[in-house]
Amino acid sequence: MKLLGIVLATACLGGTLFAGDVTGKVSFEGTAPKPNRLRMNADPVCMKAHKDPVFSEEVIVNKNGTLKNVLVYVKDAKGGAAPKGKTVLDQIGCIYVPRVLGIQVGQELEILNSDPTLHNVHSLSKANTSFNQAMPMKGMKLTKKFDKVETFRVKCEVHPWMSAYIGVFNHPYFAVTGDDGSFTLKGVPAGEYTVEAWHEKYGTQTAKVKVDATGKVTADFKFTVK
Amino acid sequence: MLFEQRARIPVEQRSYGKYYLIFSTILFLGTMWSVWDEVSVRRPWKEYQRRYNDLVLQRLDSLRTEAQARIDSATVADLVAELQKAKEGLSSEEYLNALDQKTDLQKDLDIATREWRFARSRSDATYYAYKKALAEGKDASSLRKELEGHDADIARYAAEMETLNAKIAEVDVLLNRYIGMVDSLQSAYNRMMAEVNALDLKIQRTSSAPVQIRQVMLNDFEFTPFNEIKARIDRCQTCHMGWADELMEDAPQPFTKHPVPELLAKHNPETFGCTPCHRGQGPALTEGFAHGDADRYWETPLLRGVDVYATCNTCHSNELVLKHAKPFTKAKQLVFETGCFGCHEIKGYTDVPKIGPPLNDLTGKTSPEWIYRWVKNPKEYNPHTRMPDFKLTDEEAEAITAYLVKISGESDYRPIRSRGAYGGGSAQQGKRLFESVGCQACHTLGDDQTVRLARGTSYDIAPELTRVGSKVSPDWLFDWLKNPRHYNSEARMPSLRLTDDEARHLVAYLMGQKDAQSLPSVNLALHDEAKIQRGDRLIREYGCAGCHAIKGMENEGKVSVALSDFGRKKYEQMDYGDTRELPKMSKEDYIEHEDGTVSVKRTWAGWVWGKLKNARLYQTERIAQKMPVFSFNDEEIALIRMFLISMTRDVPLPAYQHPFDKRMQHIEAGRRLTMNYNCVQCHTLEEGGGYLVAKYEEAGLGPPPLPESQGAKVQEQWLYAFLKSPTTIRPWLEVRMPTFSLTDEEIGIITKYFLGLSRLELSLRDYSSFAVDEKYLAPGKRLFDVYQCAKCHPTGTVRPGEVSASDLAPNLVIAANRLKPEWINDWLLDPSKLQPGTRMPSFFYEGKGPDETVFGGDAHEQIKALQTYVWSLGARRRPVVAQGN
Repeated sequence: MKLLGIVLATACLGGTLFAGDVTGKVSFEGTAPKPNRLRMNADPVCMKAHKDPVFSEEVIVNKNGTLKNVLVYVKDAKGGAAPKGKTVLDQIGCIYVPRVLGIQVGQELEILNSDPTLHNVHSLSKANTSFNQAMPMKGMKLTKKFDKVETFRVKCEVHPWMSAYIGVFNHPYFAVTGDDGSFTLKGVPAGEYTVEAWHEKYGTQTAKVKVDATGKVTADFKFTVK
Repeated sequence: MLFEQRARIPVEQRSYGKYYLIFSTILFLGTMWSVWDEVSVRRPWKEYQRRYNDLVLQRLDSLRTEAQARIDSATVADLVAELQKAKEGLSSEEYLNALDQKTDLQKDLDIATREWRFARSRSDATYYAYKKALAEGKDASSLRKELEGHDADIARYAAEMETLNAKIAEVDVLLNRYIGMVDSLQSAYNRMMAEVNALDLKIQRTSSAPVQIRQVMLNDFEFTPFNEIKARIDRCQTCHMGWADELMEDAPQPFTKHPVPELLAKHNPETFGCTPCHRGQGPALTEGFAHGDADRYWETPLLRGVDVYATCNTCHSNELVLKHAKPFTKAKQLVFETGCFGCHEIKGYTDVPKIGPPLNDLTGKTSPEWIYRWVKNPKEYNPHTRMPDFKLTDEEAEAITAYLVKISGESDYRPIRSRGAYGGGSAQQGKRLFESVGCQACHTLGDDQTVRLARGTSYDIAPELTRVGSKVSPDWLFDWLKNPRHYNSEARMPSLRLTDDEARHLVAYLMGQKDAQSLPSVNLALHDEAKIQRGDRLIREYGCAGCHAIKGMENEGKVSVALSDFGRKKYEQMDYGDTRELPKMSKEDYIEHEDGTVSVKRTWAGWVWGKLKNARLYQTERIAQKMPVFSFNDEEIALIRMFLISMTRDVPLPAYQHPFDKRMQHIEAGRRLTMNYNCVQCHTLEEGGGYLVAKYEEAGLGPPPLPESQGAKVQEQWLYAFLKSPTTIRPWLEVRMPTFSLTDEEIGIITKYFLGLSRLELSLRDYSSFAVDEKYLAPGKRLFDVYQCAKCHPTGTVRPGEVSASDLAPNLVIAANRLKPEWINDWLLDPSKLQPGTRMPSFFYEGKGPDETVFGGDAHEQIKALQTYVWSLGARRRPVVAQGN
């Protein structure tokens, strides 16, 4: 009787009890394009912010042969309510930091202007209401929330080299690759999923994963460029 | 045997029980069946309604579960527990004692109040007696004493009341603490459960919804053929129940939500019905009959797919653009641009300019051999021309050429400049000019198909220039480029304000675009009078004058049938020639077989498809046909066929029609004019056009869209001056607004069109005397600097190379001469609202501006200040009339 109780209880809670992490690396094969040097002559404020030459961050291949700024996410998962914490998109030295970010539906995005110059934040979203707001003063903050799942570009018309990408998800299982090209999607509930890796220039790669009781799954991606 | 036996039994003793039983059973079953059939089988809509309600309940249930899941159950449990505890408090000893105490006190208070009233009454009575005694001169001292006694009572009871009230208030504080706790917890609980409760209410309503016929009656909708008023009854919503329900977005038919709710805003199915747009048999309640497919005598079956837009034309035949009916707009544009109205009379297409150029001076432009080649088969020279193929024989082509050459000989057209003046241009420079000044907005040349693809039609709106060097004479081209109106006074081609040298470069470039195929070396008998006569006859027969102005043909009418009632034609009235028959069940209307034969479905739709695919399809040895062959693609055929469905004389009574009032007339005139001059090729107008933008990666680098707020944006005087002689507003654009040499009347039409779209009336206003409030000037300047407007908007002369060209915005010096002051305010408040996708960001958010030191951040005050400052930048200057780029 007791055993049956335990079995029943486990069966009921199984869905949430068994959750695992999906980890992996996004590797890059081929020759990376030579990054364009950004000419910031149009705005002296931007020029002064950098001592060294600045290059486009469109494609960054890490030293270990992995690709930076790849947005990795579970495609077909559903998650709970948005977390209370906010995500920050900063404009510093006329560059968006971070260039690629993920956020949950309903979560707050704080857009910050750390430059003493005019920036405008123009979202090219289609599903979510597009906005185009000016931030003429240093330290200005804007708070935005998104209600539809979508990945879209954000740009600044004053400084045409500025670009950022925002992925909106209805679950918390997403990550952006950093300097080592690795990612971890934490606490994915047991089940079978499609995981996608998206890069602004090279598009999307997909992988199927099965998260079960063991709790650790690996999914590696590779972007090949001829 | 059996009967014989039975016959022997005397009649009186024979039993009929068995027969009775059998027949009454049959009768009973028959009755049961008929009831069942009547109630259920013949009323499939009941089942639909039940299924719909089940579907709604299912979706509401899952919504409810989701809503419930969103509520934190622990919080709810805590809240419920607290509420329970608070409610229990209402039966605690302290509370009950207090309640009892209050009841007692209330009772005492009631007594005291009563006594106090009595005492007052007594006092009043005694006072009267006392006064009376005084007046009568009697002794009043005892009464006086009595009166004092009463007054003392009043005071005593009043004091008692006050004490009791105070005590009650004291008890109330205690009671309220209990009650208030319950109330606040209860309302917190209600708030938390609001969504769930609302869904519960909906669930309850749905589960008790009656199963019934839902009908819309339009008592005076239309006329019968006998001119009597006829009603329309639609019961479509009996089965199509989910048309307005958000939950039914992806539900299966017949429950699906209507896909274009914007259309329903103006044609509410609850008052307008469904059949005025969708057709079908309104009162019928079974699918086949309601849709009209199963009823072969029903003349207007349900329109499916794109065909449903045909009925828009019933009321909107005067209009070229319907915002929420894109296929209708596209079909109207197709008919407008391919010139069907040249040969056919079509409702809504009267007084439309001919689509082709005049043919009176052709030899001034090209050679007789080219004319011959062209009329014989235009598509062979230019596959994307709008000119259809008349399938002429050599002899017919020669005769028509002879006539055209003859009338050219009578023309007095001569290029303004002397022969050979075009020489000396550089083809390389010409190529650069061709690609930058905007020729490619309308003309394709070589492999660049961007604009053609963006346009998406099977035909070009202006001639392709890939082989133009083999067509025109350089003298003519030079003259034409300098001023198209010289050759053709109604030319759609605008002047690009080219200098002589620029025109020479372009001539050099374009004359180099030669055809690989040389012109046919035929010996044309051009001066043979008999040939000319024959040409005259052929031109009249084929109706060339429907599209072209031709000398001697000015009074020719339309050569083909009027299409006004074509949609009503029955397939029995149509001739299918030698084509093979496609079975009625076939999904296709038209199939081309490998052996070159064609099968056509014997329906109206099949016939029309075949005719539009190949106008000579139904031609036989005995039946000649004259309609030329067009090269529409399938999408265009479907759209034109949809348009033809609308060709009936059925029109609802005026009450059901959108009034074609003055404003609509202005707008429509503007649409016709802008379509004629093809303004939409470059500019986005009413959400259509803007094809040139496809050549630019970003919309901001193309010609500006002309949003519906254009009329509210620019000053009428400025618009007039600009259209007469365009000036540069956006120096970063290499394409330039050409000069269309519009007449004052045409400019008036455009002005009223823009104003009409903005819902404004034409009014004369002196913008130069617009008063500037000096008080706002200094704050405006400050904001202009803080908000760094000058980062994008130059306010003086721009030195090249200073800022990258694509990053500029219009120079604000021209604002005061160009813009309406009110528009500047609206624009600053929310630019994207006036022009979706604009690069101009919004500086104001939730009524606040970023700089809170000016006017406390108040958006409206700050906007006024900015407007004042911007206005002051150019107010003292007169219009900057700079010619050229």
